[in-house]
Amino acid sequence: MHKIVFKKDLNSEDYLIQVKAPLVAKKWKAGQFVVVRLHEKGERIPMSVQKVEGKTIFMLFKKLGKTSHELYSYKIGNTIRDVIGPMGNPIELKKYGNLVVGSDLVCGHAENYAISSALGKIGNHVISIQGFPTKDMVYLKEDLKSVTDEYYITTEDGSYGRKGLYTDVLKELLEKGNVDMIFAGGSFHELKKVANITKSYNVPAMVTLRTLMVDATGMCGSCRVFIDGEMKLACIDGPMFDAHKVDFDEVMNRNKMFKEEESLAFKRYKQQEVME
Amino acid sequence: MAKINKNRVPMPKRSVKERIKDFMEVSKGYTKRQAIEEAKRCLQCENPICTKHCPVHVNIKAFIKKLAEGNLKDAFLKIKEDDPIPAITGRVCPQEEQCEGACALGKVGDPVNIGKLTSFLADWAKENGIEEEFKIKEREKKVAVIGSGPSSISCAVALRKKGYNVTMYEALHKTGGVLQYGIPEFRLPKDIVDEELSYIKNLGIEIKLNRIVGKNVTFVELCDEYDAIFIGTGAGAPIFLGIEGEDLNGVYSANEFLIRINLMKAYKPLEYDTPIKVGKKVGVIGAGNAAIDVARSALRFVADVYILYRRTKEYSPARKEELRYAIEEGVNFKELVTPKRILGEGGWVKGIELVKMKLERSNKSDRSRPVEIKGSEFTMDLDSVIIAIGTKPNRLFYNSVPELEAEEWGGIKVDEDFRTNIEGVYAGGDAISGGATVIQALGEGKKAAESIHDYLTK
Repeated sequence: MHKIVFKKDLNSEDYLIQVKAPLVAKKWKAGQFVVVRLHEKGERIPMSVQKVEGKTIFMLFKKLGKTSHELYSYKIGNTIRDVIGPMGNPIELKKYGNLVVGSDLVCGHAENYAISSALGKIGNHVISIQGFPTKDMVYLKEDLKSVTDEYYITTEDGSYGRKGLYTDVLKELLEKGNVDMIFAGGSFHELKKVANITKSYNVPAMVTLRTLMVDATGMCGSCRVFIDGEMKLACIDGPMFDAHKVDFDEVMNRNKMFKEEESLAFKRYKQQEVME
Repeated sequence: MAKINKNRVPMPKRSVKERIKDFMEVSKGYTKRQAIEEAKRCLQCENPICTKHCPVHVNIKAFIKKLAEGNLKDAFLKIKEDDPIPAITGRVCPQEEQCEGACALGKVGDPVNIGKLTSFLADWAKENGIEEEFKIKEREKKVAVIGSGPSSISCAVALRKKGYNVTMYEALHKTGGVLQYGIPEFRLPKDIVDEELSYIKNLGIEIKLNRIVGKNVTFVELCDEYDAIFIGTGAGAPIFLGIEGEDLNGVYSANEFLIRINLMKAYKPLEYDTPIKVGKKVGVIGAGNAAIDVARSALRFVADVYILYRRTKEYSPARKEELRYAIEEGVNFKELVTPKRILGEGGWVKGIELVKMKLERSNKSDRSRPVEIKGSEFTMDLDSVIIAIGTKPNRLFYNSVPELEAEEWGGIKVDEDFRTNIEGVYAGGDAISGGATVIQALGEGKKAAESIHDYLTK
């Protein structure tokens, strides 16, 4: 049982949960994720970790389907049945030189913070870019600013920071040169763009693939991805892979596997809520 | 000598029509009267070979005698001396290849229904609150057991009974390993698994869930804390075919399909949150126990199910009773075919290309070899393809212990005493065999416990 010690709205869609998870907190390293199961009948969902504080961890969620809405209804003091991990492999902690960490979407931003702060601490020059749809959605900006050397923000409608996507800024930075390494997380279509852009500038890039998972311990194969044509499991071989080797079309397609079931479950959940 | 009764007391079963609508058990189990009647058929052989064919050597003759006399309690306790989880083994053991296969009555008629008598007694004991009574003489030494499947259960129970302080480390959120995630409810109801596992807790074995050795617990930490370690991590990683189309939506490993259904209860979508998508026409590759489990599970989602097997069904390694049930329930067998590639449209499974096979008898081996018939490729429309061609040991654990010696195929290398190359570290079950039966794993766990005991007392 994992007690929720803090909860905060980040914007109208996203929220932060700080939860007690001593074992995860003790072992977690940047790049690793956890599996969350809300209750006895809940699904096991992989979640990124933003940071650890004492015996607690911080996770960011987007209200999308049933589970994320249900968790949003939990209050401070309520408990989550399982927070399991850390799972997956941590990033390699070393001097990369000048590195860019880019993200959109909620998990991507959590990873952005985790990676930027871990690699900044050991003397890398870290440039962080966050992409949002619009000004009202912005979060984690101050946190990221405090752990990075340079910081950029983009909004799709231009209401805040630069107009465009985080990959637009990435492209400009690459054009200027002097970038040694890129880490990126978030939406698959932007990750695919990261792969294409960095390939053309011949700079290495690692992307986090947040695929569907069940056990996340290498048993089910639901998270299989194809890296240079070879089948790998995102849960135990990843979650980070060389962007230049990922078959993104396959990853994007597999992510649709349960869309129909998920929207049905959400519809049922909404109806129940109305009845209660 | 009493008259030999060639025929078994028939097992009351649920009708096909009724049972394919749900995931509940097929057989209803014997009543007390039926069980005693069946027990009375036992010839009480002077030299019973049934016990020799049981991997944990349950004293079958003795327990059946007690049962025939109406002494249910002693009959149950007799089984428990050697088998820690009779409600489970009675249901899932391939008895026809073991005890029942060796039963002398089998030569003239039906062998005694040892499996169903075992589960009858175990169920009866639960209902009546009968438990083993024994005193545990506590010892100081501590043993860690990695995994909570059959081999780990039997090793942990045997060591605990000898007084060791035993802690079990399970990676998932529930105990039982393959009993929990692999075997469907209609073969092994999960409340029975839970009840059998509450027994190990009552013995004083500490169970730590969500502990992934290699991730949130390191092997080194275990070595520091415990005097001996047993590795019962099973063979939980899926094997794919390595053919075109395995990336399509609608392709599952048997493991994924079964984990979603058994562990996460995706067959109850109104209650449980884990999704599953089955489709109307399902192809299952393989014909072993997992394939049959997958096929019968898929059938319960009102699908047309085809087992695609490169041999003929007589060669299926599945438990015979389940194979019979599968056919009764309407699972179709497409024999002598091998998949060439999975066909897709818009990212989803659309069908499969198969090639016909023929069986060639090789002079030495008794199992004929399937050979491709060139040019016999054909296609079949399908909505989903489930690959059930076996499993292998999980890399997650092995990668974290590079010094542990492994066999070429990936299993842990052990000697005849189940010792690994690391001192004080033992292994058993599917982690060393690659994929065997629950009862074989129980046998190995028990023997490994003996070795660990020798090691800790020398």
